Formats: sequence, C-alpha cells, structure tokens
Amino acid sequence: MRLLTHNMLQCHARGCTTRNYPLRFEEVRLDTEEKTEVNPDFIMGMLPKLDWAALRTTAMQLGMTELPEQAPDTTMDEATIHALHAILLDTRVMEGKMVCDGCGHVYRIKDGVANMLLTEHEV
Amino acid sequence: MPDPIPVDSQLALDAEEKEERYVHQVYEAIAGHFSQTRYKPWPVVEQFVQALPKGAVGVDVGCGNGKYLGLRPDIYTIGSDRCASLVAIAGERGHEVMCCDNLSLPYASERFDFALSIAVIHHFTSPERRAAAIEELLRVLKPGGQLLIFVWAMEQQGRRKFDPAHPDVFVPWVTRANQLPKPQREEDAPATTEAAGEGEERVYQRYYHLFVQGELDALVESLPHTRIVQSGYDRDNWYLVVAKEDAA
Repeated sequence: MRLLTHNMLQCHARGCTTRNYPLRFEEVRLDTEEKTEVNPDFIMGMLPKLDWAALRTTAMQLGMTELPEQAPDTTMDEATIHALHAILLDTRVMEGKMVCDGCGHVYRIKDGVANMLLTEHEV
Repeated sequence: MPDPIPVDSQLALDAEEKEERYVHQVYEAIAGHFSQTRYKPWPVVEQFVQALPKGAVGVDVGCGNGKYLGLRPDIYTIGSDRCASLVAIAGERGHEVMCCDNLSLPYASERFDFALSIAVIHHFTSPERRAAAIEELLRVLKPGGQLLIFVWAMEQQGRRKFDPAHPDVFVPWVTRANQLPKPQREEDAPATTEAAGEGEERVYQRYYHLFVQGELDALVESLPHTRIVQSGYDRDNWYLVVAKEDAA
C-alpha cells in the first residue's frame, strides 16, 4: 500500500468519529526499492488533493523528515517534487498495522494489501 | 449453461447471511476461474475513465481482478473488493488495492473525484442495502465528483432469460475442480450441473437482483445531492453516470 492511499484512509469502526484520521502506522516493513517514473505534473496536481498535515505526520512517523510544515505551492523545485514522489508513490507499506488513535482499532497490512474489513459487531 | 433459479422468498436467511453465502463465499471459491474470464474492459467504463481529467483520484469499489485499475498512468485509482482472493490477484498485477466492504468504506469523506461501481450493487439483497451502498460511494466523492454504476438488467437480450416476476435470482457459476488456468469465457462454461467424469464439476449459486428499466435511476434519484448525468443500457446492464451535487 502506498502512502498516497493511506492519506485517504480513515477509521470506520462503529461509533468512531473523533481522532479517526490519519491512521497511525505500527511495526511496519516498508519497501522503497522499486522506483517509478517521476511525473512532475502528477505530483503537483496531487497537492490540492492531499491532507498535508496528515501526510507530514505519517511521513515523520516513518522516519521521513524532509516535508516542510506548510504544503509547498505549485512552484515546487525539483528536489521537493522528487521527495514527494518518493513518499507518496515509491514508499510501499508491505507489512504492519494501522492503529486508530480514536478507538484503538487495528487494521492489518499483509503482502502490501490492507485488510479494512470490520467484523459484524464493529460495523 | 444452467438456468437461473428464482430466490425462494421463504429462504430463512437475512440479507447479510444471503450475501455471505451466495456472494462472498462464492467469489472466494471461484476467484481464480472468475478472474480468467474478466480481462476485457467494457467500452462505456473505458470511455468514462478516459474522459477523467489528468490527476483525478478515485476508487473502484468491487474492483475484482483490477481490470479497470491500469487504464491510465496519469490518474490514481484505489481498488477494493470484499473478496480477498480477487484483491490478491489484483495486487499481484501491481494494482493499488485493499479489502473492504462497500457498505462501510474506510475512506475519509469527500476526498475522491470519481468512483466506479461495476457489477456490484446487484449483489446486495435488499433495496435498503442497495441504496446504502450507493450512498456510501457518494459520501467519499467530492461535490462535483462522478460515480459510474453498472448493474445487471432484467431485460437482457443475450443467452440469459429472466422472468420479470422473479427479480431476485441465483445465477449459477460452473467450474471444474481441475479448471486449468487458461483464458475462458463464461459462455464456454459446461452446460450441465451434473458431476462429469473428468474434473468434477461444481456449481456455485450467485445472488443477483435484476434491475428493470428505470429502477436504478429511481434509486439514485431518491438519494440526496445526486444528479443523473447519463443513463443507458450496455452489454446486459443498466448504467448511470451520477454527479454529486453541493450540499448547499
């Protein structure tokens, strides 16, 4: 699972409405080996679609500290574009957990695929 | 192929149990064979995806083996399916996928430019659950975002014939225990339900609700903040393009 996908994820357990975003990673194994082609237009186009604060918090949890506090404007330099591409698209969470800070629910990631299904009583 | 069987209204299962037994368990069992039969994008879906603006971000809920996930490199689509086996197949193909349920999507509200719901809503076993599934898709769309829905039509002109008196049916899926991984179309499936000598034949019953003309339109119009942009019939399905309107 890519971090761009994680930026859209929110806890959906029954009754969980506060501090349900973003989900916090725990015990993750990342794969950053595969480098995909950088498309500057795509990265710049993603900026308004991101929750920047959530992305920055998550990246820092994973030890990636290069994102500035404020979202860059559309005149990003090349280094920033590459850094964002590496975080959003070339960082894959292969194994681990996503924990909701609101209700404590744990979602598991296995073989790069998140299982976001809830059991019947959690829906 | 075996004929569809009307769902007995006395079937002593609630809506969720029916979906668990006649949809979820069936897809887990047939995923490999099913995936071999699903490789050609339907033209209306392809046109919808090709018309999206560059950089669009969307979801394909009920993505199956992911055949609509790789159509364009300049948009971002998150696929999901209730069936873990199909999600695994889509993931192995390099698509961005997860396992989740259409009735409770794990996405923040109003974050997506588009949503695909291709051959999914007809698997929900009550009008309330079909409406809830569409509402959940609308929830994650931004105002102005678009949803494409395809559902099976009662009025199919092909080899399947349905009885308007029975809109809820079990449609058989026939597979052999030793089914070889070679592209095969659903049409080529064996025609009997009896066990054959070589390669034991298994018949799985999948639940479908067949939509009559106008039914999907009425369902969508009953939901708030929707506007039907396009409505049509293609390949045995009714389809709609729905825009999410501003709440104001």
